[in-house]
Parts: sequence; C-alpha cells; structure tokens
Amino acid sequence: MSTSDEKVKANGKTEKETPPEQEVREKGNGSGGPILFFFLVGFIASLLVGWIVFPRLLYSKKKQPIDFNHALHVETVEEGCASCHFFREDGSFSGVPKLAKCMECHEEAQGEDPEELKFVSEYVEKGREVPWLIYSRQPNCVFFSHAAHVRLAGMDCVTCHGPVGESTRTKPYEENRITGISRNIWGKSIAGIKRNPWDRMKMDDCAECHAKEAAKGAADLERPIDGFFNNIIRIAFPESLLGRKSSAQTRNEACFVCHK
Amino acid sequence: MKHEQAKKYGMVIDLDKCTGCGACMVACMAENNIPFKKDETNKLDSITWMRVYQLTNGKPFPNTDICYIPRPCMHCEGDHGHSPCVSVCPATATDYSLKTGIVSQIYTRCFGCRYCMAACPYHARYFNWWDPVWPDGMEKYLNPDVSPRMRGVVEKCSFCFHRYQLAMNKAFLEGRRELEEAQYQTACAQACPAGAIVFGDLNNTKHRVHRIVQPDPAHGGRPKNPKAFRLLERLGTNPKVYYLSSREWVRRLADHYLPNETPGKGH
Amino acid sequence: MKMDRRSFLSFVIGGAAGTALSPLPWKLTDDLAIWSQNWPWTPVPERGEVSFVKTTCMLCPGGCGVTVRKVGDRAVKIEGTKGHPVNDGGICILGLSGLQLLYGPARVPSPLRRAGERGQNRWEKLSWDEALSLVAERLAGLREKKLPHTVACISGTDTGTVPRLMERFLAAYGSPNFIRTPSMRDSYEMTLHLMQGVQASAGFDVEHADFILSFGSGILEGWGSPVRMFRAHSKWKETGVKVVQIEPRLSNTAAKSDKWIPVNPGSEGILALGLARVIVEESLYRKAFIDTYTSGLEAWTREVLGRWTPENVEQATGVDKSTLVALARSFAGARRPLAICGRGRGDTPGSIGEFMAVHALNALVGNINRKGGVWAVPDPDYIQWPEVETDAVAAAGLQQGRIDGAGSKKYIHARHLLHRLPEIVDASDPSVVQALFVLEANPYYTLPDRDLLKKAWKKIPFIVSFSSFMDETARNADLILPNPMYLERYEDVPYARGFNKPLIGLAKPVTAPQFNTLPTGDVLIRLARALGDPVAGAFPWENYEQCLSETLQDMWEPLQETGYQVASDFEPGSGSGAFDTASGKFEFNPEKAREAAAHVSVQARGEAPGYPLILIPSDSMRRATGYIGDPPFVVKTVPETVLKGNDLLVEINPETAKALGLSEGKRAVLKTPKGQARVRVHLFHGVAPGVVAMPTGLGHQAYDAYLAGKGVNFNDLIAAVEDGASGLNAAWGIRAKLSRA
Repeated sequence: MSTSDEKVKANGKTEKETPPEQEVREKGNGSGGPILFFFLVGFIASLLVGWIVFPRLLYSKKKQPIDFNHALHVETVEEGCASCHFFREDGSFSGVPKLAKCMECHEEAQGEDPEELKFVSEYVEKGREVPWLIYSRQPNCVFFSHAAHVRLAGMDCVTCHGPVGESTRTKPYEENRITGISRNIWGKSIAGIKRNPWDRMKMDDCAECHAKEAAKGAADLERPIDGFFNNIIRIAFPESLLGRKSSAQTRNEACFVCHK
Repeated sequence: MKHEQAKKYGMVIDLDKCTGCGACMVACMAENNIPFKKDETNKLDSITWMRVYQLTNGKPFPNTDICYIPRPCMHCEGDHGHSPCVSVCPATATDYSLKTGIVSQIYTRCFGCRYCMAACPYHARYFNWWDPVWPDGMEKYLNPDVSPRMRGVVEKCSFCFHRYQLAMNKAFLEGRRELEEAQYQTACAQACPAGAIVFGDLNNTKHRVHRIVQPDPAHGGRPKNPKAFRLLERLGTNPKVYYLSSREWVRRLADHYLPNETPGKGH
Repeated sequence: MKMDRRSFLSFVIGGAAGTALSPLPWKLTDDLAIWSQNWPWTPVPERGEVSFVKTTCMLCPGGCGVTVRKVGDRAVKIEGTKGHPVNDGGICILGLSGLQLLYGPARVPSPLRRAGERGQNRWEKLSWDEALSLVAERLAGLREKKLPHTVACISGTDTGTVPRLMERFLAAYGSPNFIRTPSMRDSYEMTLHLMQGVQASAGFDVEHADFILSFGSGILEGWGSPVRMFRAHSKWKETGVKVVQIEPRLSNTAAKSDKWIPVNPGSEGILALGLARVIVEESLYRKAFIDTYTSGLEAWTREVLGRWTPENVEQATGVDKSTLVALARSFAGARRPLAICGRGRGDTPGSIGEFMAVHALNALVGNINRKGGVWAVPDPDYIQWPEVETDAVAAAGLQQGRIDGAGSKKYIHARHLLHRLPEIVDASDPSVVQALFVLEANPYYTLPDRDLLKKAWKKIPFIVSFSSFMDETARNADLILPNPMYLERYEDVPYARGFNKPLIGLAKPVTAPQFNTLPTGDVLIRLARALGDPVAGAFPWENYEQCLSETLQDMWEPLQETGYQVASDFEPGSGSGAFDTASGKFEFNPEKAREAAAHVSVQARGEAPGYPLILIPSDSMRRATGYIGDPPFVVKTVPETVLKGNDLLVEINPETAKALGLSEGKRAVLKTPKGQARVRVHLFHGVAPGVVAMPTGLGHQAYDAYLAGKGVNFNDLIAAVEDGASGLNAAWGIRAKLSRA
C-alpha cells in the first residue's frame, strides 16, 4: 500500500516541477531512445553474462598432473590407441592406463623432457598412481560398453573421443561446479552446438547415433538390429522391422542397456 | 547374421531345497550396493531386493509346518510386457525389455511417486526413504557395476543385469553374441548354498530353467511341471519367477486358493 | 541519463530476452537436473581391474573356500570357491558379509590400552613396541614370582599354527592352560576316544548316507560346516534320502525333514538308547560288523539298554512306542543310515551319554568308518616342530595341572573345560588366573551364566585380547593387540567341522591391512624374543610368515595357488586297524557307557513350581553365535518375528500364551534361576506347549551400532550343567517363568 502512495506523490511532484511541454517532448520524441537503450543494455549484458561470464563461472579449470603428449606416443607404439587403452580379458575396458602400464616403457626416463622427468620422479619412483583427470567420465548412472561399440560395432575411437591421438599437449580439465562432471560431456560449446560427433557426449548424442544406425539397419537386413534410440522410426512405421518393439515402454530395450 | 531370438530370463526356486538361511538376501545386498540402517526391523522400509518370507500351514503343534519362500522381483511379463509396474510409471523410469524379459529401472529418472510400488502385487519394489549411509570406510566394498541409489527413488531386483552386461562385454571381445547358461547368473543363484535357485533363459530349451519349469507358451508361460507354480498365478501378471514345492499347502497358499479349489486347475 | 521506471522495465525485459537467448537458463536447468540425480554425497564406487583371490573363510569352523572379487585394491564381494571340497561354490550368509567386517566400524584400529574402567570403552592408542613390552614385562614378572601357570589362554580352536604357537608359547613359558572354547567337538572327540581309542575329529560322510537320523542337530541351522550340510541336504532331496529330525521345536531342519519327531526337551539321548534296544532286541543290527569289529555289545545291552524298554522311553521322551519301533526298523533297514547329534549348531558339548548312545547306533548298523557313515578324521600332522625345552620354572608350572581340571583324575577324558573356569576363578583368592589371553574367541559373550563370569572376570588382573574386533571380550580387556582380519593375514585352517577328510585351507591377505594390526603369530614370536630363553629358544623363526611357510613345507606353494589341500583319497581304514582300543575293536565300552547313561538326560536347572516352563535356545543361520557377531547385512535379515526394534521375541505355543494371558507381540518378563530379561512373545505352533524358545546370537553389547543393544543374550539366562560322566557342559536349556510385563 505504502508503495503506491509514494508513487502518487512522486508523480505529483514531477508534474509540478516539469513543464507540460517538456514532458510531451520527452514522451513523443526521446522515449524510444532510452527505453531501447536500456533494453539493449539489459539484452547485451545478459547475453555477455550468459555466453561469456556464466561458462567461466560454471566450470573450474584444472591442469593435468602431467602434460601428456599423445601424438608422440602414438608414433612410438605399435597398436595405436589400444597399446595403452586396451580391453582386459574379461571384456572390460581399461580406460586411462595405470602406472604399471606406463612403467613398461618409462621405468626410467627415456629422454630429457621435463614432463617425463617429473613423471618418473613424482610417480614412478614413489610408486604413486598418476591422478589423471578423465575428460570423458560419465555420471555414475551410465553404463557404457566399449566392447559393444568397438568390437561388435567396429567403431573407432575418434568417433566419440575425437582426434585425441594427434594432440601434443593436454588441455585443461574443466569440471562443472554444479554437477562435478567433465565439460567434455556437455561439450566445449556452451550452446551445446556440435560440429563433430565427438563434440558432445550427452544421452541425446548416444541416441542420435543409435537412431541413425538403426535406420541403416532397417535397410540392411544383414546388419544386426541393435538400435537403441530409434523411437521415431518405430513410431512412424510400426509395421517395419524396426517397428518391432524391443521394450514395452520406451521401445528401446529398456533402461538397463545404458543405465546401471 | 540372423535376428537373435528374444531371451526371457527367469528363475525357478526349489522350495523343498530352500532352507531359509538368507544367503540369497545378503548375496544380493552385497552385489547391488543395498544400504542398511541401524534399525531394520520395520520391514516396510527395509530394502531387500530379495526377501525370504516364511509361510506356515497354521496347524497346531505338532502338525505345524513352515516353508521359506525367497521373493525377488518377478519380472512380470504381463500381457506383452505390460507388467503392473511398468504400465503405471509416469516417468518412464521403468521398462520391460522384450529382448531379455527383464524389468529395468533407471534410478536417476525415477522421481519417487511410488505408483509402481502400489501396482506391484509382490511388494518387490522399495523406496529409498533416506540417503544411503555407509559407516566410514565401508564404502570401500561398493560394487562399481551398480550405482548406489539416492533418497527419493524406487529400486528393485534387476536380475543382476550388470552381470549380463559384463558377460556380453566378454562375449563381444571373444566374438560371440550368445551367452552360455553359466556365463550369466544372478548373485543369489550363485550364492545359494542349497543350490535351490536356478536361473537362465526360459526360452532356451537347453537351459535348466526351461527344462525344469516347462513353460507353456500357449497359456502365458504357465508351468507344465506339476510341482511348479507361480505366485498369484491367476492375477495374470505372468511372472518369470517359478517355484517348486512338493507340498500342496504351499502351492495353495501361493495363489490364495479357497478350500474347495484345486491348484493348477485354472480359474 | 536517468533510469525511470519504464527504462528499468525495459532493462529487465532486455535482460530477460538476452538471458533467454543465452545458454544460461537451459544449461543451468540441465545441470541442476543432473546434480539432483547424482547427489555429491552419494558415493561413487571407483572402477578398476577386476581380480579374484582364493582364500579360506575363518568366520566359523566350517572351513569353506572363498573367492574374493577385487576391483583395483578394493575387495568388493566374497563368493564361494567353485570346486572346493567343502562348499563347492556355495557360501553362507555370514561368509558373504565378511567385507562388512573388514571395512566395518567394529574393527580395532591399533593396539589399545584401557584408559577408563574395564568395559567403559575408553582407550588409549599405543605403539606395538609399547604394547608388546607391556605384556612382556607382565609375563616376566609372573615368571619371576614362579607363577607361570597362572597365565591362561582361551582360544576358539586348537588346530593350526597360530593356536599351536600359543600353546607352545605357554608351554615354554610354563603354563598348561591353553583352553579351547566349548562345543560339540569336545564330546565327539571324547566319544571317538572312548569307543574307538583314537584322538580324532568326527567326520560325517553325509553325501553318501541314505538315512539321516538327527538328534536335534541343526543341519540347516549351522551344524557342521553349514554350506556343506545345505548342499548335502539338497542332494538328499534329489535322491530321496530320508531325514528324521528329533527335536522339541520345529526348526528349519525339522520343517525340511521327512519326519519331525518332537521329544521332551533333553530326552534325545534316551530316545537313542530306546532305538538301540529295539535294534538289538529285534536283531536288526549288522551282524557281520558287530561280530568282527566290535566288543562289549552284550554287556552294553544288559547294563545300559536294560531299563530303556519302549514303555519307559515313551514315558521319558513323549514319543510313543509304535513310532519308536517303526523308526528303529527303518533306520536299521536303510543301506547306509547315519545318526548324528549335537544340538542346534553344536555350541554346547552336551551329555556324553547321549553322544555315546548315538554313536553306538551307528556302530549297530555298521556305519563306522564306512561310506556314508561316521569317520574318525585324524588331525593333519604337518606341524612338526622340535620339542619345547623347558627350564625349571616352566617345568614346575607345567606340573601344576590345568586350572580347568581337564585331564585331572576327575575329568580324565576331558581336554578342555572352559565352562568351569569362572567358578574356579571366582572361588580363588588371589585369582588362579593372573593373566588371560583371548585368541579368536569371545568368552565374555558366549559363556553361560554371565553373572558369575563377570564376577570372575573382575578377579583376573590382566586380560589381553587379540581380537580384530571390538567384541565383548575385547571391550572388557585391559589391552587389545589386534590381529589382522582373516582377509588381511596368512593363516592355515586345518579343520572343517564335520568334514570327513583331512583338509588344510589357507587364509591369505586379500587386501593390505586396513588398520595398525599385527598377526598374532608375530606377536608371539616377538614376545618370546622379549622374554629371552628358554621361551625365545622355542621360537626360532624370524616372523610368522616364515614359520608358516617352513611348517607347511612343500604345501606352501600349492596352497597359495588353490587355497586348500585335501586328502581326497583318504580312507579312514575300515576294519580292525581303525580302532586303537585295548581289544583292537570298536568298544561299546559298557563300563563307561553305563556311567554316561546315568547322566544321559541332564536335568534342567530350576524347580517346576517357580519355573513352570522350559527355556530352550533356537539357532539360526541368520544369527552368528560364535566369536563373530552379526554384520549389518545379516542383522538386516533377522525377521520381525525375532527382533522388533531392540526387543527380542521369544517363541511360545499359542496354548501357552493363552494360559499366560499373552498375545502376539506382547511384552513379557522371562525369568530363569540365572537371570531375567524383558522380551516380547511370538506365537508359534511349532514349539511345544510349555516350552519357550529363545533366539540365540543376539543381545550383544559390543561390536557396532548395527548389532549392539539388540535383543537379549541367551547366555545371560542359562548356566552350565556339568555332565557327571565327562565334566563337559551338558546344559540344553533351563526352567523358566514367563509373565506379562
């Protein structure tokens, strides 16, 4: 109540002090200016906040403990990525190598590189595991089978991980302050725009690829039908081979395929 | 490659062999990161994906008899996958896989309305009323293949689906696409010291479950083995957990038969 | 420029539009959703390489082989070892929970010295050097005073290198007082000694028997090696082996048996004698075996069985004549009938008359050391250490005889009589026990008549526990020297209760020690060194691991690999060679048997008018009763008909309840001549009218918050009853009174 009273008072005061003509001029002439100006200020400021400040606030940056040169290693080893990132006998994927694997070659420093020397003195000699920060770690609710994708479907590493093997330095690890999840999952682009298949690793990105694969599968009967997220085709063409449901609700072989 | 035949994983529990020791319950708890509280005597809020119930014939001493009945999730097929819980989930957090016959649950998707719990006639679903708390240091034994659940979501037996996934991983690595019976076993079946729990693919004639139960596809999987029965058969939930008992009172109790009815004779 | 109201609004609108066109709200929504689905306080188990370690479970004397699944350095699951002769892949509820003990809050974190009063649970951490010198000083002082025989040790077992090192330590030091905790092992050993002249453990070829006659043995409650018994039970079901259970209460075993014969509590031995009489009278026994390999049947029949006519048996046991005769006939008529005894899990030794009677039944049907029968299994003899050289002080100490009286004239056949200790200590002044070691045992919880025990406990000036856990005994000790848990240490396990072949299991470190612990074997070696010769001379090893590997010799390597060594082709030597008696035959031993039979039915303490009911224990796999308390998972499986909140429910027949004016779940006071407890009642038709069945394994005061304070300890309400023939504790129950609270 008091606020509206004050408003009335304030208005009255303005009317007394400013001549009517001036008011008319300001209204008719200059009113668009400041309003638009303020609109733009607000608009641009919030865009700046949203696009530039927000991402900086949202992500914390951490350096990897060792600046690792992938390109150099790929050149030296014989089996490409699989030399260090291999499948274990039980079908599980080893992911980032453990110290023991590195020590197969680096029990002693092989060169003069300060990063290698640091690695040997800090970790090899002390027998400590390197606390690598994992760019592509998914939340704990996700189950992902490397064997199914690499061995069964014959995909290469680059499709999801990008040309990591060509990098000579490790980029900083950025962690979402809210979720604690690596920025690589959402992708570098804060807008979520992706140019390459490896730019994002969200559930939608899995789904996108699986829908495509499933569509291909429908055309090619020789290919196993392993479509997971192919709702659209199935709903549109329920009688097609793909339209055969693989689960009751989602038609996507049910949740446990990708969740644990 | 040919279209794979859909699997229908199921279980048959021999109640004549079951001793009620509870090993299956604990094997399940250990495998699936099931939390525990200081007081677990209120069984309504005590999470046990696998729970062993005691039945009694109610006769006076000395004609009394008791029987134990382990109850995992029945993974009801219902009518073409419309199991009671799956049909009602408003979040699509639970689903019936027609490829494996397993009713799955995404904990992170569940928002805890507990509609599924109301729908489940077997009390197989449990709600996390509290956040799980492990005493300091004890979280070291947690299994990384199963994600610990948080407060506010529903959980239930998964037939140890992560073990299926791991077995498939190995199969893929070795260039196989099919699993042998022994390659995928639930924790309870593996642990049962009495060997009372048999797990496998009900569709696979080579698997023991199929041979023991002899499911009749023409009648919703009803067992042809006269000793075999399912819980609340006449409800039409089409569960995939079968029981064996040589005692008639147990079979009668399993489906609330009236004194003048005969089990197995249908509706 | 001035910011008026409209400008402000347009600023806000511009801001809103800009925000909407920026990723902020959308990304934030997504992130908040993810955050709310993966709370940072929900633990995320670390992934890693999966490996398996084969070892041996030491949580009970079952001797099962277990395989521990590890992820990286973490042990995440215990499973049964496939192909293991005892459990072949199966595992019990307690074995499965081992990791909760390993990583659990009940562990003793380092050597601890009592800071407050005993039992107050106030502790001061100290280093191993300090702790060991404390013990060494104390021991040296007692030796100086020529009192080495006042040192005693209570141990959960006497087989394997660690208990043997303890025994050796005491011997070299000058004390004969190595006392094993009581169980049916005592009575079976004595039975084999008296009737077959051998020092051996009883093994049961349960897999090949085709008729099981169980005198109250909890085949499905933890008797023998539980997993093996479960497996055998399933096999019996498959092959149609008949199981007859004689027991006053419908236990799980009784419920699963083909015939449950409820008897009057405590009269099982009489029933065994009655059956024997029918078998002899009707000449149903195996003549060939009796004539060739046994002696004394005639005298035994005359002197022992004489009074147990079917009529007398019916009167004493409540089992009618026709049932008795039919049972005798079907038992003797089976091809490989097997009679077993030891009530429940066999936690109490029981009456020797009953054991001898049941063993005689096996002899009557010729099922001794035969397929499907009872085998005498010698202890593995791999421990070949040089004789201990004693000095004058030690020799004098050893001359003193055991404090518990075992082996003395009165208790000539007994080897361990722990139940006698509290009374003896309580009656002595100064205490005959000046220092007490407790090894893998929890006598403060498991001994009956705990009031007396507590009084005696106070008299013992120095108590050292070697427990890995803060159990009742550790909590009431002066010093705790924590042993690493079985998943963190090496130890040989040469015994699997009831297994019929010599077996050595090896427990080995699955993970690095989680706490500042030291294997008891090493403690003893270091203590010996600190005490100097002659004790030090008896311990020539650098450390325990060296001792173990040298002792096991060429078994050490294969044991590391497989986790066990079994003499699979072991035959107990049927025929005359198997009996080391004076006659070289199986002896019905009429003289001893007559004495034993006089005490075959032990009377429950208390008088009927004041205590009209009979209280008996009821065991369950879901409640550990030995040295180990239930881990949280196992407590969780205890049904609400046993435990409600912290209240224990005792079982009574609805008829009894009606007479007492009690109904389901009602609170009551249970009183026995030894104590009283507040309980609730659970109405159960499976317990005879007039009997109260009380769940065992609860009422812990120590361990962790998941176990402590729940229910009542059965041992608070019962007292030992000494068997007049053997000296062993033969109590099976006690008279009781139940009244509304």
